[in-house]
Amino acid sequence: MDLTLPQRFIELSLHSLKQVQNQTLQLNQQTIQQNNGNSQETLYAQQLAPPTQPIPLNPKPQPTPIAAVDTSSIKLGETGKGIIIAVRGTTIWKSGKNYAYLRVGPFIFHITEENLREVYNTLFKAYFPEQNPQNSPSFLQIPTRMANLLEKWLQASLAKTMSNSLILFDGSLTAGTADTPTQQLKEILTTARSRGNTVLAFTKVTTLRFNGCLITEAFPAYKPPCLIQVANIKSKPPLALLGEAYVAKLARGNYAFRLDIDREVPPQKRVEAVESLLGNDLIMNGYPETLRLAHIFCTFTANEVIAMQHFIQQKYRLKIIERPDMHRLLFGPFGKGESHNEVV
Amino acid sequence: MKLYKKEGNIIQILSFPNESVEKGDYLLIEDAEAQKALIAQVIDIQFANIPGVLEELLRSLPDGGGIIQGEDVDPLEIAPHITYIQDSRLLICKIRATVEGEYLSPSSSWLPSRSQSSIQRLPISTLLKLARVDGGLPITLGSTKENSLLTIDASSLDGRLNIITGKKETGKSHLSKLLITSLLQYKAVVVVLDLNGEYAGLGLTSDGKRNAYYNRIHVLTPAQNFKVALKQLHLNVILNILIHALHLPGTSAREFRRIWQFLKEKGNLTLHELGEAIRNWNCNQNVRDALFSRYHALVNSGFFTDNVAEATLLEECLFKAREEGGAIIVNLRNTSPIDRQIVVEYVLGKLVELLTSWRLKAVFLFAEEAHLYLRETYWDDIVTRMRHFGIFTTFITNQPDTIRENIYRQADNIFLFNFTNEHDLEVVSRAARVDAETVKSIARDLPPHHCLVLGKVVRDFPIVVKVRAIDVKTMGETRLFFTGSWAEGASQAFPTVPGSVGENS
Repeated sequence: MDLTLPQRFIELSLHSLKQVQNQTLQLNQQTIQQNNGNSQETLYAQQLAPPTQPIPLNPKPQPTPIAAVDTSSIKLGETGKGIIIAVRGTTIWKSGKNYAYLRVGPFIFHITEENLREVYNTLFKAYFPEQNPQNSPSFLQIPTRMANLLEKWLQASLAKTMSNSLILFDGSLTAGTADTPTQQLKEILTTARSRGNTVLAFTKVTTLRFNGCLITEAFPAYKPPCLIQVANIKSKPPLALLGEAYVAKLARGNYAFRLDIDREVPPQKRVEAVESLLGNDLIMNGYPETLRLAHIFCTFTANEVIAMQHFIQQKYRLKIIERPDMHRLLFGPFGKGESHNEVV
Repeated sequence: MKLYKKEGNIIQILSFPNESVEKGDYLLIEDAEAQKALIAQVIDIQFANIPGVLEELLRSLPDGGGIIQGEDVDPLEIAPHITYIQDSRLLICKIRATVEGEYLSPSSSWLPSRSQSSIQRLPISTLLKLARVDGGLPITLGSTKENSLLTIDASSLDGRLNIITGKKETGKSHLSKLLITSLLQYKAVVVVLDLNGEYAGLGLTSDGKRNAYYNRIHVLTPAQNFKVALKQLHLNVILNILIHALHLPGTSAREFRRIWQFLKEKGNLTLHELGEAIRNWNCNQNVRDALFSRYHALVNSGFFTDNVAEATLLEECLFKAREEGGAIIVNLRNTSPIDRQIVVEYVLGKLVELLTSWRLKAVFLFAEEAHLYLRETYWDDIVTRMRHFGIFTTFITNQPDTIRENIYRQADNIFLFNFTNEHDLEVVSRAARVDAETVKSIARDLPPHHCLVLGKVVRDFPIVVKVRAIDVKTMGETRLFFTGSWAEGASQAFPTVPGSVGENS
């Protein structure tokens, strides 16, 4: 594993926080949301072809290292000039029976209208110097986009350092989006493949439908563990699907996930990779434990949020203020808050 | 520290790991604008209910097995802040008083500002000054945990009902000895009903030499150096013994009264003559049998004598003590339960007689495990009637449920040592001068020789004190089997290797 610190992350974090000294901080009034940009797919499917027979899976117990990546971001509060966000990423390995983790962060940023573009582009260029950021994120997107940047860096690091392993991503292998340039994901997959790794990307929530039914709910009769290939997915340019999509039913119960496997890996090897996953990792509710741990370890708990707010308050002498929550004020228990409205 | 919540007279304060506060500590919650402050005592310390802590703990044990190994790259060093928040505590405090200027009032009817109040620890020494716990007749009980001395006023024991209680070997007798010797310094008259012969060495230092109290300690052992001649007894006292200690029925008591008056008129009040009179008295045979059985109990106790020279007069000791102060230790160690009751009936009867006639001003009575010799009706007597005569009692017990609830309700001072048993704490918490939460929470964690002082002696500010040592000879020690050479020999014959227990088993 490449343990080089994401130095630019640290530098930019500290630099942005220095500008925030002695300002007022309005804490996030609503339940603080965890973000993970890849958890929802960005692919828009055309008419799906009817599935072929399910591919039965036989767990392969031959020892295969497994690694997984996930990141998380959170908005800590608002200052007079912008917002304060925190980003953290986690890598989990399973070798033999033991799990181990590397947790990077939290990195706290003070993002303002003035520094938004600079912060994002500097980080983007620092990690993917040969690529150009397609467009800068908006103020609301920045927490997710920063987390994505960190996630891509962690994924690239894993691809470079692991060999003959299974690498699990959270999300799909759809590229060409603002936060996942096609070239960037291609490079990660190529590097991983060149070292004998297979990338498996699990999507928790899919929008792909077959006969009007979500693909993850469309095949209740197929007995797990099995894979159902979802063929003929069309994507609108500039979106590009770099993986072969499957519905993975890895355990009993009504738990099925969309699983994207590196398209350049031969079909038989793709199936074998999933069989290796079954033979080497704990599968709870049809989801690999390594990936579940990656999510758990990067998620910010309320306690950590309070601690980060305490940190910025202590170190940068921010004065916390309580602006009235207008939704609560006007609508009482019916006021669901700003974040609710934004989502709607 | 930050003021968090107030419910009734319980106040909750958020405290952070760098603030050292323990159970029993006092806090001053000062509201500068209101120019008032609350004095609150910490009665419990809990973890603050921090959101997300459960998740934090759960994710460290994902497999239900060992802690997952890993590395945290934490460039901004947030981890100490997480620990700081996680370890923050909630202090459950009881409001004790309000300070306005230099005056204390027990009021808790106002609420200090949550945002503006400053909270700091109130040193016990400052609290004692504020509460004016000192007085002209100081008795130093020991040191508080801040190493300041806790000095009470002897007059706060005067006319009061006190209870010293705690489980075995926590230091109850030691404290009562300290109180007795301190009272002697102020020339008080003290009577000790000493169940285990623990107080006989009060006049000696630990190495057996005479101490300053030697001449003021009078140890009376029934049937040995403490005997009574019938001539010295008042009819009421002997009747009390017969009725209450020996359970003589009313009809027989009436006959006894006649016999007694008959012998007194003849000037023949001796044990022998009493026996003869009962034998020859013209009365029902059952009454005669009843009287005879009690007569033999009196004779067999060895407490009564016809030899006036042999009879030690309790009165004499009390009068001697009246002048210079003194303690009369009634050693009941080797006395049977019936004889104990006879002796106690006599002593209490005599005290009431002397106090009623104002030949004695007042007496401090220390009664160890009083339920073993005090008759039922005396409990109420002691806390109501006898107190007015000038008997100021201190009960010492390790079984708090043997003392009646009404005694707790009327107790002025309670010296509470460690109790772990919930039932015992429940009983003690019925005392009127203390709240149940304080008793249950603080007494449970008291180390040996530490005592929670409650009541008037500390102006109702419960204070934990480590009772100071006194140089008196320890008596009445528990006899042990594994002592001396046997124990040494046994340890050599069966040497124990540290850590070998598990291997052998």
